[in-house]
This record gives sequence, C-alpha cells and structure tokens, in this order.
Amino acid sequence: MSVPAPLKILALIVATTAFYTMVGQLVPQKEVHPPKETALKKEMTSDELVGAGKEIAEGKGLCSTCHTIGKSGALRFPDLAGIGTRAATRRPGLSDVDYLAQSIYDPNLYIVPGFNPGMPVINKPPIGLSDQEILAVIAYLQSLGGKTTVTMESKVWPLAAGGAGQKAQ
Amino acid sequence: MKGRLNAKIAVASAAVVAIALATTVGIVRFVLSTEYRAPVRSDEAQSTPRVQAQQDEAAAKAKADREKPYTEETYRRLPRVGSRVAVWVLAQLHLLFAAFVLAVPIFALTIEFIGWLNGDKRYDELAHEFTKLLSVSFSLTASFGAFLLFMLVLLYPKFMNYLMHVFSPTFAPYVGLFFLEAFFLYSYYYGWGKFSAVVHLLLGLGLNVVGTAIMLIANSWLTFMTTPAGVSESGAVISTWAAVHNYTWMPLNIHRFIANIAFGGSVAAAYAAFKFLGAKTDAERAHYDWMGYIGNFVAICAFLPLPFAGYWLASEIYAYSQTLGITMMGGAFSWLFIIQAVLIGNLFLGANYYLWLGMGRVQASERFQGYIKYLLILIALCFAVWATPRSIIATVSETRAMGGGAHPQLGYLGVMSAKNTAVNLLILTTYVSFLLYRRSGRTPTVAWAKLGNALQVAISLLAGGIVLFLGIYGYFVEAAVRIGLSIPQVGSVLFAMITVTAIDVLMYRNARSLGETHWGRIHPVSQYVLIFLAVTFTWLMGLMGYVRSGLRQHWHVYGVVRDTSVDAFTPTLGYATRIVSITVLIFFLLIGFVFWLASLSDHKKEHA
Repeated sequence: MSVPAPLKILALIVATTAFYTMVGQLVPQKEVHPPKETALKKEMTSDELVGAGKEIAEGKGLCSTCHTIGKSGALRFPDLAGIGTRAATRRPGLSDVDYLAQSIYDPNLYIVPGFNPGMPVINKPPIGLSDQEILAVIAYLQSLGGKTTVTMESKVWPLAAGGAGQKAQ
Repeated sequence: MKGRLNAKIAVASAAVVAIALATTVGIVRFVLSTEYRAPVRSDEAQSTPRVQAQQDEAAAKAKADREKPYTEETYRRLPRVGSRVAVWVLAQLHLLFAAFVLAVPIFALTIEFIGWLNGDKRYDELAHEFTKLLSVSFSLTASFGAFLLFMLVLLYPKFMNYLMHVFSPTFAPYVGLFFLEAFFLYSYYYGWGKFSAVVHLLLGLGLNVVGTAIMLIANSWLTFMTTPAGVSESGAVISTWAAVHNYTWMPLNIHRFIANIAFGGSVAAAYAAFKFLGAKTDAERAHYDWMGYIGNFVAICAFLPLPFAGYWLASEIYAYSQTLGITMMGGAFSWLFIIQAVLIGNLFLGANYYLWLGMGRVQASERFQGYIKYLLILIALCFAVWATPRSIIATVSETRAMGGGAHPQLGYLGVMSAKNTAVNLLILTTYVSFLLYRRSGRTPTVAWAKLGNALQVAISLLAGGIVLFLGIYGYFVEAAVRIGLSIPQVGSVLFAMITVTAIDVLMYRNARSLGETHWGRIHPVSQYVLIFLAVTFTWLMGLMGYVRSGLRQHWHVYGVVRDTSVDAFTPTLGYATRIVSITVLIFFLLIGFVFWLASLSDHKKEHA
C-alpha cells in the first residue's frame, strides 16, 4: 500500500521540524536574567569593596563579556590581569586610580595599542553603573595585581575635577 | 459481515471508553479546582439590622467606586500561554506571510517581464500561477498583523504608548500604503490578461514599490528597538527621521529584501513540488517540475548573497554597541549560531543535491556527474567546520584533559576565521554546482572556449585560494586586523561569481545542444528536497527573528525602555527552538490551506 503524497509531505515537515528542535536541545541551555543589584554601604572594608566590585564587573557591569583575566593570544579587548599595577604606568603623571576612572568614565580616552575602540559608556544605560558601583569596580581592578586604595568615600575623576557624573551619596 | 459488526462494536466501545474517561477527568478536575469553604456560623445576635447593613455596604461600595483612581497599566498578562510567547508566535507568523507576500510579486513581475520580452507565453502563465498564492496570503498577513497589534496594545500598553510617541508620524503613511498595496495586488492578480501588457507590468511594479515601502516603515519600528537613535537619554523624541534611520535600519532592509526573495522562492518551489507529487499527467509533471526549478533557482540566487548582507547587519550592530555585538556572537546567543550553521549547511546540501538530481532530466549531463563527489566532499568539510563550536559541553575531567573549555585542535575551527572561510567556500561550491547544471546538455561553439574555460577555472581557484589564505592568516593577527579580513574574502567570492558568470554567458551564446531537457523526468525525491528546503528556510527565519529580537535581552528599547515584566529574561535556546518549531508547523498548516485553495481554481478549470 503506497502512502499518499500529502501524508508523506506532512511527515517530512514534522520530521524536519522535530530534527531542528532536537538540535536546539543539544546545545548548552542557559537562561539569562537581568543583572542583580549589588548592595553597597559607606562603611565597607577594602575586601568587601573588592568583592562587591568583582560581582559588579562580572554581572551588571558586563566587563567580563569583553575583557578576560589571565588570557593571552587573539583577544577582543585588553586582558585585565595585572591591571592594578599596570594602570599607574600607562600615562605619565596619572595615578592608577585616575587612569582607571578616566578609562571607565570616558572609554575612548585611552586605547591600548593593537585594540579598537568599542567600550560603551558604562555610567549610562543600558549598563548604567552608579558612581558608587564604579568605585567598587575600580577597587576590584586595583586588586588585580595591585593594592586597593579607594574607599566608598573617595572622589575620583570626573567628580574630583568637578566634571559630569552623579555625586556619590 | 460478522467481522464488520465486531469492528463496529469495537469502535463504539472505544468511543464509550473515551467519553467515560474524558468525563471522569473533567469531574476530577472540577472537584479539585473547587475550593472548600466552611459554613458561616454566628452564635451572637447581630447588632445591626440586616437591611441597614446591606444599605451601608452598598453605599460604601458606591463611594469606593467613585473615588477609584485611574492607574495606567504597564503590563497585562495572558494566562497559560504568556504574553511574550503570544506576541512572539503572532509576530513570527505575520512576518512569514508578509515576507511571502512581498517576495512573490518580485519574482512574478520579473518572470512576467522576461515573458513579455521574449514573447514566450509559458513565462506569463508561470508568473500568473505564482500570484495565485497571493490573495489568501495577503489576507492572512493582514489578519495576523491586526491580531499582533491588538495583542501588543492589550499586553504591553505602556511600551506601545512609547512607540506611538516616537513613531506616530509614520502611522498614517503606513496605513495609506497598505490600502495602495491591496489596490495594486488585487488589480495585478484579477487584471491578468485583461489589461495591456505594459499597464499590467506597471501594476506589478506599483505593487512591488508599495510593498517594499511598507516593509521599510515596519523595519524602522523594530530596528529602533534594538539600536535606538533620535531620542534623548530619557527617551524623548529629538528627530523622528533619526529614529527611523537608525544604525540597523538599512542593513535590515537589505537583508530582509534578499531573505524574503529566498524564502518566497522556496515556498513557491514547495507549492510546485506539492502539485508535482499529485500530478496525473506528464504535461502537469513537466510544468510543475519547471515551476519548482524556477522557484528554487530564485531562492538559491537570493540565498547566495544573504550571508554578506547578514555580515553587514551584524557589523552595524557591533558599530552601535560592542556589548550588543558580543552578546550576540560571544555571549548568550553564541550557541544559536551553531544551530544556524546546521540549518545553513542543510540548505547548501539540499540545494546542491537538487541541482545534481536535476542533471538527470538533461541529456548528456553525465560528463559532469563525476565532479559531484568532489563538490560533496568540499561541502561536507565546510559544513563540519562551520558547525564546530569554539567551546564544547564537557565534564570537569574532560575540560581538564583538554586544558580548557575549547578542544586543543578542533577549538581552532570554532573561531570566526574558520567559519568565514567555510561559508565563503560553501557559496563558491554551490555556485560551481549551478554552473555545471547550466552547462549540462550544451557545448560552446565560440573559438575561445578553451581559453574561457581555463580563465573560469583560474578565477574560481584564485578566489578559493584567497579565501583559504586569509582564513589561515587571520589566526596570526590581532583582532582589529582579523575583522577586516572578511571583506576581501567576501569580495573575492563575489568577484569570481560575477566574472565567471559573465564569461559563461558570452561563451555559451549560440551553444550547440547535446540533448534535450525533459522536464518532469526527475526522481520524486527531488520534490521532497524542495519541501525540505522550504521548511529549513522557514525555520531559519524563525530562529534569526528570535536572535534579532532577543538580543535586547531585558530591554524593550535597548538602553531606553527597560522590560520589567515577568518575561524580562532570555529563555534557553531549547525553549526558543520549541517556540520556533510551533510557529513553523502553524505556518505550514496555513500555507497548506493556501496551496489547497489555489488548487481549487485548477479543478474549476478542469471541469469547465
């Protein structure tokens, strides 16, 4: 008994769709939720600030989407391992905190040779980190090979220079 | 007799059992859903008389109703299905039918124009047959569009209010164009053979121009959601034109225009396959074989430049926001492109297989069939490279053994250098398959045929060599240089396709025929390949629609209007592919209905 052509067509459509659905189930399955807010307090210790900064850098700040830590080879954006010490040597007369703050608030100010500009402004949406959150990220970056000096009371560029930005509460 | 009685009893028993089962399930569900309430008992005498208490209650309710404040709802929830899924499925179905309705007139007009130029009535009839599918599809497009709009306004009122704030000046032209589209479409279809050829062609041109304009307006709305422009930081409109002409508007216009033709061609080819498989006579089979070939030819011609248009769209997304670009290619959606590779690999395999099967209908095509195995090996290799992921799912011990998330050797095939090389070589190979098919049954008569052949081979090999060299070179240079290498890769393939075609056209002018083409004499498997290609194209459109829209993640308008609904998360790819599959199945059920309706007019003709 031969199967009518419309039935064969239907079976082919269902089988093809089922096959692609199966391929979709074979790849890694991950739900991506909006980033969580990290609680920040004025009286945080240096370690707590670094921990909070790490959480922000890997979460809401989206830093780890592009930057790696401790990788070499063909990179999209500069690797951040050792940035805590390297930051102080980037620009003559510029401290590590100033260099990091300027690079975060104005990402196209300094472009590491060999890389293209492309980092978004992160104190505005869609990332929209607050000044306190940026302080925590700077503390975390300082901790990568250097010593953390910023606290929640610190006033960094451009706030220290009276520039734009929301004042730390 | 007894056997038939037994069968009837068995069917009746089965029906009774099914009804009994359904009734039992219904009763159990009703009982479980009914909440238990304890009887109200009052031991004390009520201090307020019953009538007075009822009056007080009514007055209090009336007062509360009068003072009820108006609050604008941000979201409404659709039970069971969920708001996001409802809008997702409706938008995709609307888009699939719209793509079909926009695409068919493009190649119907082109075929009609060719028929008008060469005076061959077959082309005119073919163009008319393609447009038969349009009128019901147009109604379905409009119905799904209206349904989608109602659901958006109902479920996402605040967000829709914002879109209206930005795009209200575009609504009147959109509606006006929609009426014009209906005018041109029905005049074009019902006016077939009733107007002069030039007037009819102009109606077809009007239909295409208006249809494209409608697509451009709708594209501005959805591209704005991903790459907003022309608004302030708080979302206030600064320039409506800037909002329309945002970063991804023109790349998406081009990408959709080409993709619509590829999709429309494949669905029209599936219609021809459906008719071929049900054909009763050789003449019918010959006609629908030819129609399927033309539909598939249109689809593949549009499909070949599609990766280049996709590359431009992706690069504009990167130019707008590196974060958005990296989310797409290296973040939450990176594995989606492995699924895409499987689909595109299947499209290339299917398209080539159909061409190779098609050689069977051409006499004296045997001389080229020896090359097929080499083409197949090349396609399979490129497919394997393209579908190789950078990082793979592995256990902790496997990851340790590999020394990281990527395989020490195969991991190198997972990066963009390898993938760009694979896709360019796939395109070139498919082009060579087409060239072989085109030459089947003919031999050139020009004196410079040998030189022409040598030149074509040299250009193709050179293009393949450049693609391969730049692909390998990409491993040794920095990201900034590597990204730029894809342009000469694409350029060399395009150059090869254009120059080799130009040489071929000149070389095969007045070519000597070695045998006839017997339309209809093709293995029936070829028709199932056409249907497989149509399903794959449709599924691919669903998948890429998901990534284009899902890329915004927890934003309705990226960086401007945040999604605060319960659906403000990116679902797993497994979930997304299930939704895509449901949409594809609904689409094919409906398009099957369109095919059936189009066939009814044939029956009418047969009976007349």
